[in-house]
Amino acid sequence: MNRRDLYRFGTIALGSVAALVLAVPGVAYLLDPLRRKSKQGDFAPLARLSELQVGVPKVVSVIEERQDAWVRYPKEPVGSVWLIRQPERSKAPVIAFTTTCPHLGCAINLSADGKSFYCPCHTSRFDFSGKRLNDIPPRAMDSLEVKLSTDGDPWILVKYQRFRSQTEEKVPLA
Amino acid sequence: MLNRLADWLDIRTGYRALLREALDEPIPGGARWRYVFGSALSTTFLIQLVTGLLLMFSYAPSASTAWGSVYYISDQMTLGWFIRGIHHYGSQAMVVLLVLHLIQVLWAGAYRRPREVNWWFGMALMFLTLGFSLTGYLLPWDQKGYWATKVATNIVGGTPVLGPSLQKVIVGGPDYGNQTLTRFYGLHVGVLPTLFVLSLAAHVALFRRHGLTPPRRAGNRATGHFWPEQLFMDTVASLAVLGVLLFLVLSEHGANLDAPADPSSSDYPARPEWYFLSLFQLLKAFPGKNEVVGTILIPTAITVVLLLIPLFDRFLPDTLAHLLALGFVVALVGGVGYLTYEAWRSDAHDKFFQAGRAKADEARRRALRLAGDPAVGIPPDGAAYVLLRDPLTHGRGVLNAKCLGCHYFDGKGRGRQVASDLKGHGSYAWVRGLLEDPKAPSYFGKVPQCDGMAEWKKNSKLSKKQLDDVARFVASFAAVPPEMTPEEWLNSPGVADHPGQEPFVKDCGRCHVVDGLTEGGYRDAPKLFAWGSKQWTSRMIHKPGSPDLYGYLEKKDQMPAFTSDQLTENDVTTLIRFLKNDYLDAPKPQESRVQAQVVRATGP
Repeated sequence: MNRRDLYRFGTIALGSVAALVLAVPGVAYLLDPLRRKSKQGDFAPLARLSELQVGVPKVVSVIEERQDAWVRYPKEPVGSVWLIRQPERSKAPVIAFTTTCPHLGCAINLSADGKSFYCPCHTSRFDFSGKRLNDIPPRAMDSLEVKLSTDGDPWILVKYQRFRSQTEEKVPLA
Repeated sequence: MLNRLADWLDIRTGYRALLREALDEPIPGGARWRYVFGSALSTTFLIQLVTGLLLMFSYAPSASTAWGSVYYISDQMTLGWFIRGIHHYGSQAMVVLLVLHLIQVLWAGAYRRPREVNWWFGMALMFLTLGFSLTGYLLPWDQKGYWATKVATNIVGGTPVLGPSLQKVIVGGPDYGNQTLTRFYGLHVGVLPTLFVLSLAAHVALFRRHGLTPPRRAGNRATGHFWPEQLFMDTVASLAVLGVLLFLVLSEHGANLDAPADPSSSDYPARPEWYFLSLFQLLKAFPGKNEVVGTILIPTAITVVLLLIPLFDRFLPDTLAHLLALGFVVALVGGVGYLTYEAWRSDAHDKFFQAGRAKADEARRRALRLAGDPAVGIPPDGAAYVLLRDPLTHGRGVLNAKCLGCHYFDGKGRGRQVASDLKGHGSYAWVRGLLEDPKAPSYFGKVPQCDGMAEWKKNSKLSKKQLDDVARFVASFAAVPPEMTPEEWLNSPGVADHPGQEPFVKDCGRCHVVDGLTEGGYRDAPKLFAWGSKQWTSRMIHKPGSPDLYGYLEKKDQMPAFTSDQLTENDVTTLIRFLKNDYLDAPKPQESRVQAQVVRATGP
């Protein structure tokens, strides 16, 4: 190896070192979001059982404290849930669905005639048990875990969760 | 395969000729270490560009979000402290390298005919670099950047004739705020980089057009080439710069972030970044009406001379012009160095400055501590409220400013004590101490108009055990929630059967009224329902002269009332929380543990 080769090799080697010293932390910094975990919700009271009529869906807000990057928000609505009271002696007294559409994450509303769930973005349609009525969404509406408190007029406690969109399986966001 | 791809690309782009043109630049007299500064500057600029872009991914320019986003980058994101640290020290490396490059160019005479225009582009790049520093310093919206930049823009405002309008345009209005930040951000990440890249392109193009200035004593050394000899040296130099940056970033663990900007702070010792310290010091030499000499005239004159340097040899012999130019810059660097040292030295010996800086550091640590605590954090209305809502910072400040003219706190006050010591007010320890010795200076010893407790003490026959019980009972009043009525309180668990209740009714109740429990009447005294609670203390602050408190005293003997303009809701809340040790990292002294037990025993 002569002097020129040494310069050549040295330039490339040292230049690569310099580039790596910045590139590796830079990439790690850009990939920081991968480290962020989705907040795991806890059971929270959303409504009293007496507020619901059997078979009539009602939308209620989920109120939580929230951390958005550097900002800590006090308790405020962070999402919505459809609650449907079931007839007496059903297995579950109340069914809860997140309003987030499993297709691409828009908010599911009632259809104009009030007889099914309907997502205004891409016309996903579901019946009141959450089953798909067309092939647009990849799966049924995402149901949430429900518990009732032991009060005389029980509170409906719902564990609010977010799920991945576009999958056939219901996968909670980690 | 790779070769064929390269051929394909070359036919379509001609990149090989371009590359050869770039790399085969002849170097008269061969490669030299002293030629590395230009390349090192370019590399450093590239580092600034990359790290700056990375920071843009997470930075949010507004008065309410800037500090929080910088905090998030520095303290929460993966290696964010590293990226920001490199950017911070990189900006300083730019200034240092710039000076070295300038001296090298001057020394080599590389500014002379026909390279005058290139000298001017170099000057433009220098001022753009300083512009980057000035605008970037403000972006974190911390105390340091806020006050330093405020001074800088006020200097602009002092320019004759156009100053005030110019300042208003730069600041984005009559006051500092959101528009200042967005404007500085626009300049820092848009206007300045564009101008810098264009000037740099022109600078390099002109440099290539005229070639390297041959050394005067090149002798018979052969002409070298940029690739690979000079580029190797340039790479080593760039790596050395990066090494210095790494050392600074790692040893300082990134860049400092001061407490969030607080326009109301009266004692922040503002200083510019170190390379502006000479200007700061120069300003001191021209006080009063002459200030504009130091802030505008001298710097402008220096700039004009620097720009005229390539024209010296039109009027003077070459050698003399060169010597004069060198002499001027050497004197300038010496002067700047001297002033910087003077500025540093006077601060180092200035106890007042040191105390201010220590206080600012305490605020900085506190702000970072609060921002990082999951229970506190940065509120949505902005980082300014991190400290403003902190009882330890703001509540203690309010106490010092508004209360300690008359009251004492923990044995200390600002003047002659004419009221009680507020340390632990509302706690078991405070009440117990009062019941033991009402005439002690901590209680009513310095308040002769309030002699009722002392009179009671002379005749009281309560046992030590009974006094303990009464003190516990009274200390439990502080936990009465704001919405609770006296009746609800009396019926809540732990009140009627409290061991302190009976002696309280018998002794205290002779003077003090608690609606539904005692009737008073023997002597005038304040009502005690919810005594020591937030609502009671707040009422005491705003309406000490109302009939349920100290209205029975003559006006001159009452505590002065504070309106809600003098003490805002936040002032009162943080003050009371400070007194109750209700804040992050509050000490957990004996008495507050006792009080907590009382609260638990008596229920809410």
